[in-house]
Amino acid sequence: MTETELSRSDRVNIDDAVMQIYEDLTKDTNIEQSPFKTYKDVFMFAACLGYRNGSRRQLSSGKKQTIRREVFTENDFSLLKAIAISATRDVDILLHLGDILTIAEEYAHAGIQDLKVHLLGEHGHPLWNLVDLINSTYRRNK
Amino acid sequence: MKLERITIENFRQYYGRQRLAFSRDHQRNVTVIHGVNGAGKTSLFLAINWCLYGEGVSSVGELISKEAASRAQDGETVSTSVELAFLHNDERYLVSRRLTGTKQSDSSVLVNSGEDFTMMRTSQDGQAKRVNNPIGAMNAILPSNVRTYFLFDGEKIDNFAKPEAGDEVRYAIYNVLKLEVLTRGRKHLQDVAAEYRRELKSISTGELRDLIEQEEKARADKESALAQKENLVREIESVRRKTADIDHRLSEMQNASALQQQRERIERELAQRQSEMRQLVSDIRETATSGFTIVAWTAIERALTVLDEKREKGEIPSSIRQQFLQDLIDRMECICGRSFEPDGPEHRRLLELMHNTVPGSLEDDVLATNASLRALDEQRQSLRSDLDKGMRRRVELRERMKALDEELDDVSRQLEGSPQEEISKLEMQRRDFQADIDSYLLQQGSLDSRIETLTKDISQLEKQIERAKKDKNKQRLLARKAALAQRSADAIDEMYQAFADDMRRRIEAKTGEIFKQLIWKSSHFQNIRLGPDYNLQVIDRYDRPARPELSAGERQVLSLSFVTAMSRISEGKAPLVMDTPFGRLSSYHRSSITEHLPELTEQLVLFVTDEELRDQARENLEPRIGAEYRLHFNRETSCTTILKGNDNDRD
Repeated sequence: MTETELSRSDRVNIDDAVMQIYEDLTKDTNIEQSPFKTYKDVFMFAACLGYRNGSRRQLSSGKKQTIRREVFTENDFSLLKAIAISATRDVDILLHLGDILTIAEEYAHAGIQDLKVHLLGEHGHPLWNLVDLINSTYRRNK
Repeated sequence: MKLERITIENFRQYYGRQRLAFSRDHQRNVTVIHGVNGAGKTSLFLAINWCLYGEGVSSVGELISKEAASRAQDGETVSTSVELAFLHNDERYLVSRRLTGTKQSDSSVLVNSGEDFTMMRTSQDGQAKRVNNPIGAMNAILPSNVRTYFLFDGEKIDNFAKPEAGDEVRYAIYNVLKLEVLTRGRKHLQDVAAEYRRELKSISTGELRDLIEQEEKARADKESALAQKENLVREIESVRRKTADIDHRLSEMQNASALQQQRERIERELAQRQSEMRQLVSDIRETATSGFTIVAWTAIERALTVLDEKREKGEIPSSIRQQFLQDLIDRMECICGRSFEPDGPEHRRLLELMHNTVPGSLEDDVLATNASLRALDEQRQSLRSDLDKGMRRRVELRERMKALDEELDDVSRQLEGSPQEEISKLEMQRRDFQADIDSYLLQQGSLDSRIETLTKDISQLEKQIERAKKDKNKQRLLARKAALAQRSADAIDEMYQAFADDMRRRIEAKTGEIFKQLIWKSSHFQNIRLGPDYNLQVIDRYDRPARPELSAGERQVLSLSFVTAMSRISEGKAPLVMDTPFGRLSSYHRSSITEHLPELTEQLVLFVTDEELRDQARENLEPRIGAEYRLHFNRETSCTTILKGNDNDRD
């Protein structure tokens, strides 16, 4: 067991400083305006985007919101594991759930800012900006 | 407190160990200690002070008897001690104070720091116990700040009667009568009240009323917005009804019914398409928000590569399980049934595989992760195609809805352009109604957003008001506490003043009473006054202060009267120990004092010269003397011996 694993809970942390972005992307009843259903969905997107853009940042030591582990699906976990493996290039990371979560939190903490720029910082509704973002990533992957 | 005995050892000129017992008889309560000047009266007087309080001596180094020091060898320990036995509240006390030092080669004595002060208390059952806090216990018996009024130095006897002695008299009353307790209580309460007031200041004030006003205004605004919205909804409803009326009338008019029916068909389809669009947007949203699989694709690919590399190196057998390998090794048999030798190439290969295999739990995890990541690839493809399909359909729907809108517009224009005036009029009215509905909907949207903001503001204000109310309660409580503490302090102050005034009057009366007994010219002096300024004054028969005319002796008698009065009033029952009290009195006053003083005190110890106590004074005192000593000073040894009795001839 690593030190991180001993000291952290298996809840996923979100820095209070970026909670407003999570709010903005989920609260409105108009789904074109707030496309995401849950904080978890925002977190997953932010983590993936953070990894993709190579931006990763430690959370501050201030207040945090948490998401319970049960909210994440098996598929979500597989993705977070993939991010952890490719970030560390070490398969053994699979034995350390705490480290996997910490890595995901750090990518999400940086990625949420990228998400904000793409979805809220451009003209048009966030939902269609989201679709554009997915399409453009897909095209670049090919 | 009643003194019983003093034992003195190597103290100043008292070489060796010497004892003196005080008279404790009720009738014969006077102990007289005679001594010529320089014989050691003051030393003995000081010994009592030093023993009880460690005070009254200016230089500790001079306490140890020079004779004792000179007889000691170099480096030898020399010491002095004074023991006092006394009775207090039916219990017997023994206190001793000891000072030790070391004889130096130059004949001086190096005094050890710290005096040894011990107190033993013998209760009525006869058991003697050491008192743990002797200094505190001594202060409870006779406080050190009042000792000078009872252990009385005759040289300073007229101190209280000096014109500027107000402060000293006040301190004396203050200390002896224990007014200090009250003063301390008042000071403490005043401090507490000030502390509360400070705390009160730190709590914000005046905020609550503002907040309540703001909340009231927000609530009123919200009410009015809700009412406006209700009106709008009714208005929209009514306009829609009117539109439906027009539609109905048009459908019944010969030249309009076909167009009206066409309009209804188009509107039905438009409604269908709108609902389809809503569903589509919701579907696209589902797909798009799971689109992170696509965004994370590089991570999935890289992770799969890492996993594959490990497998190629043989570190993660893709299908061979650890248990399976172990089984083969246990049986020493290949899966084809051929057995192999220990340490043979087959065995070694299997052991190597075992060795490189990752632990069971990780292996499971790796396999599961690998499988689900590969599945994600398929998911990614379908996700992408769903999104594509959805977006294409959205474009189609938009086109269709735009066309339907244009058709509606066309129908409307045809009706409006109808040569039949009624039809044209109705359609124009209908258009107006449509425009009204649009503007009402706009107003409704603006009201909704206003209501939302106000609702948020109100809940915020409610929280702030709750907090402010709590602060207010705290404030009220603090204000009450502060007022209570201040009132208590004031009450104590009043009590103190009343008590002090009462004490002052009682002492005034007692001093006057004693003074009249002691003074010779009592007929000339009318009374004693102890005013609020605590100046002792003698009032003559013309009711005027007579002090300037007082002789030195009269002033001493006044002081003595005051001290004796204090001792009577305080109920402390302390003995009166006086060092050369009559030296400066006229024979008349001596005679008067010696006649009355024994009656006024519980126990009287007098250190006197022969000159002070003779003739009438001696005669007056004679029946009250219970013990008598003479201090004999030997000029050759410079040492004093305490001798019992009053044999003048031993010199």
